[in-house]
Amino acid sequence: MSFIRYFVRRLLLVIPILLGITLVAFLIANAIPADPIVANLPPNALNDEDTIAAFRKKWGLDKPLHEQYLTYLGNLLQGDLGVSIKWRKPVSEDIAKRLPATIELATLGIMYGIVLGVGLGLVSAIWKDSWADYIARVIALIGVSFPVFLIALIFLNVFYAQLSIAAGPGRLHVLLRPPPTVTGMYTIDALLNGDWKTFGNALSHLILPALTLALYISGIISRITRSSLLEVLNQDYMRTARAKGLRERTVIGFHGMRNSLIPVVTVIGLSYGNLLVGSILIESIFAYPGIGFYMFRASTSQDFPAIMGVSLLFAFIYVGVNFVVDILYFFLDPRIRVA
Amino acid sequence: MNRFKYVLALLTLMALLLGAFAGLAQDEKVLVVGWKEQTDAYDPANGFTHSTHIVNHVTYSQLVTFPDENAGEILPLLAASWEISDDGTVYTFSLNQDAIFANGDDVNSDDVVFSWNRLKHRDGNPSFLADGIDAVEAIDDDTVAVTLPAPRPSFLSEITSGVFSITNADVVRANGGTDAEDAAETDTAGAYLDSTSAGSGPYVLDLWEPQNRTELVRNDNYWGDQPYFDRVIFIHMPEGATQKAALEAGDIDLALDLSPDQVATLEGNPDINIFRGPGVLTHFIIMNTDEQYSGPFANPTVQLAVRYALDYEGYKTLWGGVKPATNMTAGFFGNLGEEAAFSRDLDKARELLAEAGYPDGLDMLLEYPDFGAGGVDFNTNAQKIQADLAEVGINVTLQPGELQVALDKYRSGLHGIGYWLWGPDILDSLDFLSFMPPGKVATERNNWQLESLPQEIQDAIAAAKVTSEPEERLRLFTVLQEYTMQYGPFAPFNVPDVATAYRSDLQGYIWHPHWLLDVQILSRAM
Repeated sequence: MSFIRYFVRRLLLVIPILLGITLVAFLIANAIPADPIVANLPPNALNDEDTIAAFRKKWGLDKPLHEQYLTYLGNLLQGDLGVSIKWRKPVSEDIAKRLPATIELATLGIMYGIVLGVGLGLVSAIWKDSWADYIARVIALIGVSFPVFLIALIFLNVFYAQLSIAAGPGRLHVLLRPPPTVTGMYTIDALLNGDWKTFGNALSHLILPALTLALYISGIISRITRSSLLEVLNQDYMRTARAKGLRERTVIGFHGMRNSLIPVVTVIGLSYGNLLVGSILIESIFAYPGIGFYMFRASTSQDFPAIMGVSLLFAFIYVGVNFVVDILYFFLDPRIRVA
Repeated sequence: MNRFKYVLALLTLMALLLGAFAGLAQDEKVLVVGWKEQTDAYDPANGFTHSTHIVNHVTYSQLVTFPDENAGEILPLLAASWEISDDGTVYTFSLNQDAIFANGDDVNSDDVVFSWNRLKHRDGNPSFLADGIDAVEAIDDDTVAVTLPAPRPSFLSEITSGVFSITNADVVRANGGTDAEDAAETDTAGAYLDSTSAGSGPYVLDLWEPQNRTELVRNDNYWGDQPYFDRVIFIHMPEGATQKAALEAGDIDLALDLSPDQVATLEGNPDINIFRGPGVLTHFIIMNTDEQYSGPFANPTVQLAVRYALDYEGYKTLWGGVKPATNMTAGFFGNLGEEAAFSRDLDKARELLAEAGYPDGLDMLLEYPDFGAGGVDFNTNAQKIQADLAEVGINVTLQPGELQVALDKYRSGLHGIGYWLWGPDILDSLDFLSFMPPGKVATERNNWQLESLPQEIQDAIAAAKVTSEPEERLRLFTVLQEYTMQYGPFAPFNVPDVATAYRSDLQGYIWHPHWLLDVQILSRAM
């Protein structure tokens, strides 16, 4: 199969998925038996019919559900995600402001996650059934089974509040000003501005939340790396590689890892979804003003445009990452090219 | 991979060092507050949340105010004095001629008329508060007359609220504001007033990044005493645990949303002071008076049995505070006080249940929100209610619900028996009338009808609404409270203490029942 054909086929599959996501998100947001009026108007205003009617009209809540959905889709095609009921600002503007923070966090989180997960998986597989394997598996188990908010709270209390060896909540120290906006990612913008102090401070504020996210996703990455590598380690070509006299490091690093990567890459793609979900809790605990934080508040306020906007964004990212993973398969696995 | 790992490790180490030891020199005197921001808007005609009140209390001034430490009396602010007409419906305010806005403009009667009419016509979240005002007129530059549809003794208390802040009419008009009747459609000053303030308070709103930070800078033109801090930064930290960690680390000076158990763990920390004081949130059981929703619990005798069965001292042990006699907020004028409150009497409760025809007990479904307020957990209290009532043969099944879902049901009067809390809408005894028909909790939420009350109680309710003479008010509110203790469908059981933790070098902190926090009276020990 040619790369172009493979690429287009995968791309076409993405469209119905995204459309389906808009519908499901819309229906779920509306099916919750809570009223956005109760959520967004103060208690006393609920006795005032005029205020309620004005609110319904303003936010289009007086229209039938299908009409609301079609209007939403129409606006979406023009790049308009609507206006947040809670903050009265265009959702796309809010997302644009907060997304770079989450990308910054998620990127460092996935980097730590890969290093930690793949590293633990390698240790586990190479020294199978040794004490190193057991320790690595326990760490993986903690990552998988411990609630992410608990890990976040422990990190915050131990490393920030008690030991004072890590920076605390927020994106920057409270008295520091953000660097001039170029990308919205403070570390990058500080570097572009040549401001090392702000760069270091922004990076230090990423460490604890990113490590929490990393621990959260590294469990599953390490388990898959271990099992996948164990399978590969028993293959004939590995024995052949050793018989050729290659160093063990080359055998494992080149022949072993390369061939065991497919499931690992898949699971890293899927972990990105977990990372986004995890960011909702992590960002709340670390008072980190990213998109997860925004989603949390939107959900508790029944702010439909904001919920839909972020759901779509998460879906786009998730589908996008998995699309990239699909494309990577093409390069990693020659069998796909032949099929 | 290896090189990547080393680079990552190096970056982490560098960031940890830089982050942990970053010394941030500052010239300004800065106060940092950790809070759970709820702000919907800082435009006084549009915002109606606790965090809006805290900020607008110092960025704007109102005509009258309360003392720093309580809501016990009305003090002049922008109004130097006022007169009330004999029939109690017209209030004439003389403005303080020294008062100026942050931009140096004089505060005059046009600003008052504009601000209150804009509030009324803006259809914003707090606009309903101006419904009880018929007209606001400028008599001259420094005199304003306000006409009410009927006498209302709570009026002066009501206008202490930040909602009734006086905005600079010229500035707001220049930025799209209007007080015309169609202001709901034509006023476009909201965005401007959410980014800066146009008031005459000791601070000016400098920055608002929703759900992130709010910054105030000192108003150098302030016409009163200058505050100590040059800048006040409010940082949004939705989790109490985060606020606690930041307070211990010294990154924030004051944590506004700690739970009692989080506060308890800070006891003994020399760097932290703890403020405890009486709160204003009353926790209560509400029993629908329509038996299609609450069955036997619509019977006043059963309701009384529930009041006798609760372990009031137990709730005090859990959360501190006081045991309320009625749903009138603790500390309000005429409140019957703790000494009049119920004490647990299980024999009496069983006797009443038998008298009502339930000698073998009965079942109750208790609905409540899965929620916490001021650190008090509803689930804990619900479980205690379940245990308390089991002792008199009432088998309680707990039904926690998502807050918004439970609220919908409660506010529409479709619930059976619920557990809720009440914070006063106005800091005046009149607030208690919400719990008497035709008040909103009594009737709209609980179907308790005015016609079901004896004529003398109906008369007392009508009189309480308009009477301002203290002795008569005291008599009326005593009659009404005693009636609800005997026949009312509510079982209030606890008014928890409030607890706030702050760095020990912070001076002057006091919790206020109305604006909660007043940053203009805070300073730092040298």
